[in-house]
Amino acid sequence: MADVSHGTFHMRASPSAVDVLLTPVHRWVWSDLDRRARKLLTFGQTEEDGARDISRAAERTADPALRILYLRHAADEQRHAVLFRKRGREILDSSRPPVFEANWLAPGERGLDGLDVGSESDQDLLAFLHLSEKAAAGRFVLYEEVLAVDPQTRAVFARILKDEENHMTYTRRELARLAQRREGWRLWRARAGRLWNAYLRVASAIASVFGTAMLALQYFLILPAFAALAKRSARREREGFAASRAETAFGGQY
Amino acid sequence: MRILGISAHYHDSAAALVVDGVPVCAVQEERLSRSKNDASFPLAAIGWCLEHGGLEPGDLDAVVFYEKPMLKFDRILTMALREFPASWGSFPRAMKNSLGGKLWVKGLITSQLGVPGKRVLFSEHHQSHAAAAFLTAPTRRAAILTADGVGEWATLSLGRGSISESGDAKIELFRELRFPHSLGMLYSTFTAYLGFKVNEGEYKVMGLASYGSPAFEPLMRKIVRRAADGAPVLDLSYFEYHRGARRSFSDRLAAELGPPRDPDAAIDLATPEGKRYADIAASVQRVLEDILVDLARSLREETGLDDLCLGGGVALNGCANARILRESGFRNVYVPSAPGDAGCAMGAALAADRLHFKRPHVEAPDHPYWGPPIDGAQLTRIAREDGLELAETAGEAELLDRVSLELARGRIVGWMQGRTEFGPRALGNRSILAAPHSAAMRDRLNRGIKYREQFRPFAPAVPLSKADRFFELPPGGARLGRFMSGVFPVRPEWRDRLAAVTHVDGTARVQTVDPEAAPRFHALLEAYGARTGIPVLLNTSFNLAGEPIVNRAVEGYTTFRRSGIDVLVAGETVVEKPRTRELAPEAVA
Repeated sequence: MADVSHGTFHMRASPSAVDVLLTPVHRWVWSDLDRRARKLLTFGQTEEDGARDISRAAERTADPALRILYLRHAADEQRHAVLFRKRGREILDSSRPPVFEANWLAPGERGLDGLDVGSESDQDLLAFLHLSEKAAAGRFVLYEEVLAVDPQTRAVFARILKDEENHMTYTRRELARLAQRREGWRLWRARAGRLWNAYLRVASAIASVFGTAMLALQYFLILPAFAALAKRSARREREGFAASRAETAFGGQY
Repeated sequence: MRILGISAHYHDSAAALVVDGVPVCAVQEERLSRSKNDASFPLAAIGWCLEHGGLEPGDLDAVVFYEKPMLKFDRILTMALREFPASWGSFPRAMKNSLGGKLWVKGLITSQLGVPGKRVLFSEHHQSHAAAAFLTAPTRRAAILTADGVGEWATLSLGRGSISESGDAKIELFRELRFPHSLGMLYSTFTAYLGFKVNEGEYKVMGLASYGSPAFEPLMRKIVRRAADGAPVLDLSYFEYHRGARRSFSDRLAAELGPPRDPDAAIDLATPEGKRYADIAASVQRVLEDILVDLARSLREETGLDDLCLGGGVALNGCANARILRESGFRNVYVPSAPGDAGCAMGAALAADRLHFKRPHVEAPDHPYWGPPIDGAQLTRIAREDGLELAETAGEAELLDRVSLELARGRIVGWMQGRTEFGPRALGNRSILAAPHSAAMRDRLNRGIKYREQFRPFAPAVPLSKADRFFELPPGGARLGRFMSGVFPVRPEWRDRLAAVTHVDGTARVQTVDPEAAPRFHALLEAYGARTGIPVLLNTSFNLAGEPIVNRAVEGYTTFRRSGIDVLVAGETVVEKPRTRELAPEAVA
């Protein structure tokens, strides 16, 4: 295993096995010009959000070396946002009306995955950042491959990929410095955290669909009679100003 | 008596503390959570207010929420019923939102703060707006006009406030416009149609309006007509916000105005499409202004009063405010620094103090600086750790001399002093400052720091006593400029030399700086004037696009490091970025 603390240590990104298997899906997702543009613009937003979060991390760390690295990282993310947006807009200007974006099939990157930067230790944050950067960089390698037909967009990914690899490297190196021999544990915890977040996303999406279905059912079964009354009452309302309510008690919620 | 005011759950949550009738502190949650327009229950803001006031939750005599949640739920449910079956898409979401948390405010407050339920009070939304406007204004009798998107049912209220010799305060709201008819929702709908974020992009519509002509005014007048009693009534066939969650405007609006702007596409004002967007913005702005002026004029005739207090999010429209001042007959128009929902935290606390507990009125200090103070030592420590060039100035005179020189050299300064402002505008305590003379400076700020559309103007700050020299202020204009609430013409002879802050139509949203309210900022303007002959600075909020205004020194520092700001000042500490080239003082006079 490479010496993480050594100055020459540098990590290379590679797509995950799942993503490699899903290459045809990624190819389909990126094949449409408008979808490509929208995804790039979404990536731009994600990078901008990431820049803000990493900036927050720079504000709260007590480690001056880490602060500088976070600030550089945040500046990179800001630059990536500009690159993604610029290319997205270029494509959009020459594309057709919007189509299904398919973010669920090819999410690209999730930024910091909703991580609460303010409540994490530097070590946990570095582990989380490392995995996020690694996942995004791996996908970007794949996107480069499936975007062979669009050299300009491909060049954007190639340029950003270099930075992502640098981010992977520095987060791993700093984690090794701060966590000493417990870096593996931190990384596994971060992996578990990402898995938990994924579970929460899926679970809340399912719960939301279920809740929506139940409420929609109630809407159509219970509300019609009340709706008729409400409509009748609305028709009786006078147009224009209404008298303000008489002074109500501060103790009441109604 | 110690009263905590809270606004939360829709946009821009905040907390404010009033002790013995006087505001002590107030802060928006976003300034502490660092999440722009944070609408969550403002635990951090409450925590800071209590800490600042040296109080524990148990010491509070009352906690006042800024609106009545059950009455709001009544409106949401009633609208869902009235719009049946078209409301089927929005109903589940609205119910999940309300029943999942927003309805149970009393329980939330008692469980989070540990205060007994009987100490939790509720003001009405527009009463909170009215109180925030009237009870903080330096007047004892005034007409009141509040307008926003929607509170519980009311979207616009007209009334009057008075304070008797003995200090008894009274706020009497005569009549109101009710949802779905709403001037705030009208403007927000066009904000969305023009591809900007609602509750954030309304400034952009106002800025864009100056590039257009009101070519769509006839259609706008069809969309908003006037009822027999003068109330603005919307033709709801052009809107969807009252029934659907998908978007706020209807297909009919898009059919008659043309396709809405894609939020991701840039606005090119040189193209017919760009011009169409500007014309639409100009048309909705014109109609909004006309209606507000007309309502204010009627209110003036009805009340016979000289002063008007404006509240609600619509009062952030500086062009409309200036026209109200010029054309309605009121001598003074007062707009608080936070007329939107955040300000309702203070309004609710003051309303409870004066109207519920019937305590005598105490004049509120007339400034917007109610938030956390700056700690220059924090910047000193960080800059030292990062090996930046650092100067701790020997005193105020040296600080002002140094900063005014940097500004005159064309450098951009991040300026943090005293306590942070309450409200959406940076008024000289958390500001980015620059020389206002050339359009190149405006472009540099837009490109390298604010990353925003070229059509958006920057605002000037000027000493109160010198404002008339540079700007055409009507009587009462200087007061409206105190919290940057009015847009006024720049005098033609100064427009070329104030190019960075003069909008395309020759106007500026000027801040008139009172030495008593902001002594150091005022002194800096004077120092800059002594050096250049023009005591005017470009003043824009100290934040990057999509971020809240900075609060602590460390936040200013990270913003400084990530942007094109050249010099950072926090208290007495001055930090510079390494210089790439020495600039000559700008020739301005």
